[in-house]
Amino acid sequence: MKKQFVIILSLVVILGVILSGCGDSKNNNASSPAASPAESSTSPSSSEEPSDSVKLDPYKLVMVYPGGNPKDLKLVEEEMSKYLTEKINATIELKPIDWGAWADKSNLMFTSNDKFDLIFTAAWLQYNSNVAKGQFLELDKLIDQYGQGAKETLGPDWIKGSQVNGHNYGLPTLKEFAGAAGLLFRKDLVEKYNIDLNAINTMDDLTPIFQTIKDKEPGVTPLVQSLSLNLPGLISGYSLDYLGDSYGVVDPDSGDLKVVNMFETKKYTDAVQQMRKWNKAGFINKDASTIKDDQLYNVMKAGKGFAFAASTKPGKNAEMSTQLGVDLLQKDLIKPQTTTSEASGAMLAISRTSGNPERAMMFLNLLYTDQYLINLLDFGIEGKHYVKSADNVLDFPEGVTAQTSGYNPGAAWMFGNQLNTYLWSNEDPNKWNKFKEFNDSSTKSLALGFVWDPTNVKNEVAAVANARTEFSGAIQTGTIDPDKFLPQFNQKLKDAGLDKIIEEKQKQLDAWAQNK
Amino acid sequence: MRNTSVITPSTTQTATRQQKFSVYQLLLHIIFIITSILVIIPVILVLAVSFSDENSIFIEGYSFIPKKFSMDAYTYLWQDKMAILHAYGVSISVTVIGGIIGLLLTALFAYPISRRDFPLRNVFSFYVFFTILFGGGLVPWYMVFTNIIDVKDSMIALILPGLLMNGFNVLIMRTFFQNMVPPSLIESATIDGAGEFRIWWQIIMPLSLPVLATIGLFSTLGYWNDWFNSLIFVSDAKWYSLQYVMQKTLLDVQFLSQHSSSGGTSALLAAVPTETVRMAMAIIGAGPVVLAYPFFQRYLVQGLTIGAVKG
Repeated sequence: MKKQFVIILSLVVILGVILSGCGDSKNNNASSPAASPAESSTSPSSSEEPSDSVKLDPYKLVMVYPGGNPKDLKLVEEEMSKYLTEKINATIELKPIDWGAWADKSNLMFTSNDKFDLIFTAAWLQYNSNVAKGQFLELDKLIDQYGQGAKETLGPDWIKGSQVNGHNYGLPTLKEFAGAAGLLFRKDLVEKYNIDLNAINTMDDLTPIFQTIKDKEPGVTPLVQSLSLNLPGLISGYSLDYLGDSYGVVDPDSGDLKVVNMFETKKYTDAVQQMRKWNKAGFINKDASTIKDDQLYNVMKAGKGFAFAASTKPGKNAEMSTQLGVDLLQKDLIKPQTTTSEASGAMLAISRTSGNPERAMMFLNLLYTDQYLINLLDFGIEGKHYVKSADNVLDFPEGVTAQTSGYNPGAAWMFGNQLNTYLWSNEDPNKWNKFKEFNDSSTKSLALGFVWDPTNVKNEVAAVANARTEFSGAIQTGTIDPDKFLPQFNQKLKDAGLDKIIEEKQKQLDAWAQNK
Repeated sequence: MRNTSVITPSTTQTATRQQKFSVYQLLLHIIFIITSILVIIPVILVLAVSFSDENSIFIEGYSFIPKKFSMDAYTYLWQDKMAILHAYGVSISVTVIGGIIGLLLTALFAYPISRRDFPLRNVFSFYVFFTILFGGGLVPWYMVFTNIIDVKDSMIALILPGLLMNGFNVLIMRTFFQNMVPPSLIESATIDGAGEFRIWWQIIMPLSLPVLATIGLFSTLGYWNDWFNSLIFVSDAKWYSLQYVMQKTLLDVQFLSQHSSSGGTSALLAAVPTETVRMAMAIIGAGPVVLAYPFFQRYLVQGLTIGAVKG
């Protein structure tokens, strides 16, 4: 008995060691240049002199950002380090953190004074509260000294739009400077019924189209919606300025800075009424108020949906087509609008724990000005992770797909200068020009640059958020009657303290406007 | 239900008693059958979904019998077999190493504080008890394991924090030693010339198999099911435990759904594994533990009832 037990135990241990060893065989040759965190500055592997006339000491940069952990991360890291050694005598360690772990991990890294240099941040990833806590370095001087290229590339709008109280704490990624909302349609059905998407100007124009699909395509839901991807939410979200958290908004069309309750605005109520009509007509999926976005995508993947709502930008349809494996067409329903949260939708900041902020800024500068580096970070190594079919156009190498690729983070929107990146072969070759047009044509919100600090009304915000989840999904998908429930919903929000939030927001906004 | 024997006056008493007994038995059986079904049904559903065709799931919802049988979810995971096998290896190694070391340490701590002739036993017992009642919170806990002892991105990160020893287990074991080990046994061993360590290892431990098996099972399950340590301490995929590889998918979906209207996250969400794949992952992750359970069963029954017996 005892003997058997020992034998079994040792077998299990051996098995465990073998198994955990076998996954390693591929990475053995790619062990990181600096194995222990104690050696913060390793000497570069190549003994080349930096081309810079000023002699810089070797330094290892650490960049933390949300994303998966691709197989060939270390290879890309090495390539980048080689290049950076020549340029600024620095090596780099990429530290992706899984999306789901981001909130916990990034907070712990800050509170425990972990050493790292660059970190991804955004308006929707607690950028403001981290700035308030002093987790990021103020970059004004560094930008002027080492980040001139980035500053020129971005232009004054971007730099201003992402400021907090007149200072930059992060450099925004140069991407779409505005947000819009609209619908993505299945291309095959649009062509089958000769639907003219350009003729759609209002939501009413969609009714006959949905009717056609409902009558002639049994088993296909004309409009698939979910808890967060629904028209009223997106339309009011992108035609009003949310001022950070949507409890109290400014309507850009009103021309003043009066904070109002979004759920009482005409834009919102009209959209909600329309959904109710459509829902009664049977255009919307029955489970709209409960399903999550990934389930919505599944319905589209399965070919059981005709259209769904999305936040849009030029080429959004191509992006989603790749991901869903369904050809899509896009129709924007509102004009693009720029708000503070758009201007700070993706940024790289320098941590207060950075051992060498100057070098971190030099690296940031390269991300905006150096085409080779940004594409290496976004798409990996040429010939291994992608092949060029034409100038600046990418394809996967023979026998590689998005799923099997060793490096395909899909994160081009996260770093540096997106307008400097290559395009996949299914994308519009003019995408970046359209981006520029889109950015130029956007309405700038009057409150652009205002940052809302909810600290004083934290409890109310939490209470209102709770009240909101109870109703908003069901109301915005037309599942329940807005005539009856919308007043109830608003009453609930007011009971939870919405008016107090609006008052506080108004106060802050007025103060901000005076100092502008 | 079987009919009881024909009732004759002489056997009435026994018969009614038998009948009562069997009604009671029957009730018990029914309750346990229902409980078992409630436990098994979700597992069967998960299994069925993992073998279903994706599209039939979107359209028809879940069902106990796959509407359209398909192995796609498992083939999809097979493409990624290296990562999964690797995570298996990590999980198995951590479970075995952590389980054994944890068990030894727990026993080594529990034994002295069970001995009445150990002068400081109250102090040490209170020390254990205190850790059960009060924790330092997440941030100090994290800082101890990253700043004082740097465990990040290593096997130790999965073994040491929070799982290696648990005050509750120490107290269970202490109670067992106190109740089950007669002091005279230790006395006689001492008279025969055995040292303290030898008494513990050669006499006490073999006598305590039930409690060792119980605590062993607790800590083994704790290690096998742990994903939190991977989430907090590991950023290098080399050290992801199997459970975290799965949990990660769910957490990612949750997080990206919350922020689906921001920037590029909506596209990322479209790339996460589908429901059938998630179910297949759950099946693969639960497998070994389900198989290991019957072996522990015997000791578990003994070990858990033992606490009720007053020695």
